[in-house]
Amino acid sequence: MDGIGEATLRALHLLVAGDAALWNIIGVSFRVSVSAILISAPVAVVLAFLLAYARFPVRLPLISTLQSLQSIPTVVVGLLVYMLLSRRGLFGDLHLLFTQTAMVIGQIVIAFLFVVPMAHGVLAAADRRAWETARTLGAPPWRAMLTVLTELRFGLLAVAIAAFARIVTEVGTSIMVGGNIENFTRNIPTAIALETSKGEFAQGIALGLVLLVLALLLNVFLGMLQGKGEMR
Amino acid sequence: MSAVERSPPLLRLRDIRKTLPTGRQLLDIEALDIHAGGCLLLTGPNGVGKTTLLKIISGLEPPDHALVDYRGTSLAWPAARRRYRRDVIYLHQQAYLFDRSVMENVTYGLHHGFRLSRAQIGERVERALELCGLSHLAGRNARELSGGEKQRVALTRALVLSPRVLLLDEPFAGLDDESRNRTGFLIQRLKSEQVGMVVTSHELLPLAGIADEHLELRAGQLVAPTRTVPRANPARRPRNNETHGHVAYFDMKVGDETG
Repeated sequence: MDGIGEATLRALHLLVAGDAALWNIIGVSFRVSVSAILISAPVAVVLAFLLAYARFPVRLPLISTLQSLQSIPTVVVGLLVYMLLSRRGLFGDLHLLFTQTAMVIGQIVIAFLFVVPMAHGVLAAADRRAWETARTLGAPPWRAMLTVLTELRFGLLAVAIAAFARIVTEVGTSIMVGGNIENFTRNIPTAIALETSKGEFAQGIALGLVLLVLALLLNVFLGMLQGKGEMR
Repeated sequence: MSAVERSPPLLRLRDIRKTLPTGRQLLDIEALDIHAGGCLLLTGPNGVGKTTLLKIISGLEPPDHALVDYRGTSLAWPAARRRYRRDVIYLHQQAYLFDRSVMENVTYGLHHGFRLSRAQIGERVERALELCGLSHLAGRNARELSGGEKQRVALTRALVLSPRVLLLDEPFAGLDDESRNRTGFLIQRLKSEQVGMVVTSHELLPLAGIADEHLELRAGQLVAPTRTVPRANPARRPRNNETHGHVAYFDMKVGDETG
């Protein structure tokens, strides 16, 4: 117990003292995951909208497929991205393996597969009169789509936040395609895994605390959103 | 019946056919005419396809087949829809208002294809809000309003676009007397501005003196109604330039006596 208490104290000290290596790791995590969610969520939401509102032949099989891929193991995504980016892979010439870009690509895939079925659920359950009203008032299809998405902003934002929480905490893809290179591709989850295996608990605990605080903040934010959504 | 009916219709749909996914033939209508300034009352039991018919007319739901005559051209439904859908507005039985202010709701349609300046839009919206007695609610979130107020915002949002045809799905359902009168007044006013209307309603009284044609949808076809609208006293029937807030109420009274 003494070890944990001491390590936690040292962890807090590292955080407060602005330890460069520690904050670098935190920076990598946020840069990668924020980029990934900003790129994948809008595209995923538009696809979800089409799956919910458009009528095209492969729609239903596509929905089922995407629903089953929602909880794909992150190591499997890591494996696929690794194979594509490795020297002999399809995109090997781009030399992206073990870079932050590779991590962003991996997380884009995870976030995309998470957001599409969730957002589809939100959109499919929503009031269709929103779409009809926008259309009958003369809005072109894309404007009507934006109107529907705006109407559902609280639910969709909640989906995006849940997706962010999933990618910012995942280890599998980051470690496989990022490689956990210090000051470059080492992010919070990969650093915790490494430090723990070395018996260096302080940094691991400090980073764990950051993730916990983040999870708490996101949860509070989500709660506020839901409260706002319910008032209407 | 009147001069309105003898003029060629503004919008005519022919051979409207719609089959449900279950295989049941929902609609098989030979022709449906909508006249400028005419008000066609459509009745029929629940589930007979009145809403589907209105949605087909408005372009929101595809029929299996329909021909549309509009402004001198005759086209199949999918092609016609693009030409006329801007001029036709459908109003849901229970109005859907966007999660924004009343003002923003009423402004919504003016942003699409009207090419008005900000000032012109503001002026038009303000005038419409005033006409419909909603000025005092302009800044409120539309979701916080009562049912009757919502209904009026939806009507205002439609009439600010100056549509040629308005399709009203049960506009009086669930409204109290005052809201009913105001809605009746607005319908009367739109009619006087030569808007062609199709109204479905289970309640006939509020439409006395407004509806000038009545058809019943039965087994997918338009037939003469079994129940008729109480007639307003022709001598006391208001002319177009006399429309005011008491019209609907007044007509309803007359209807009560004669029907």
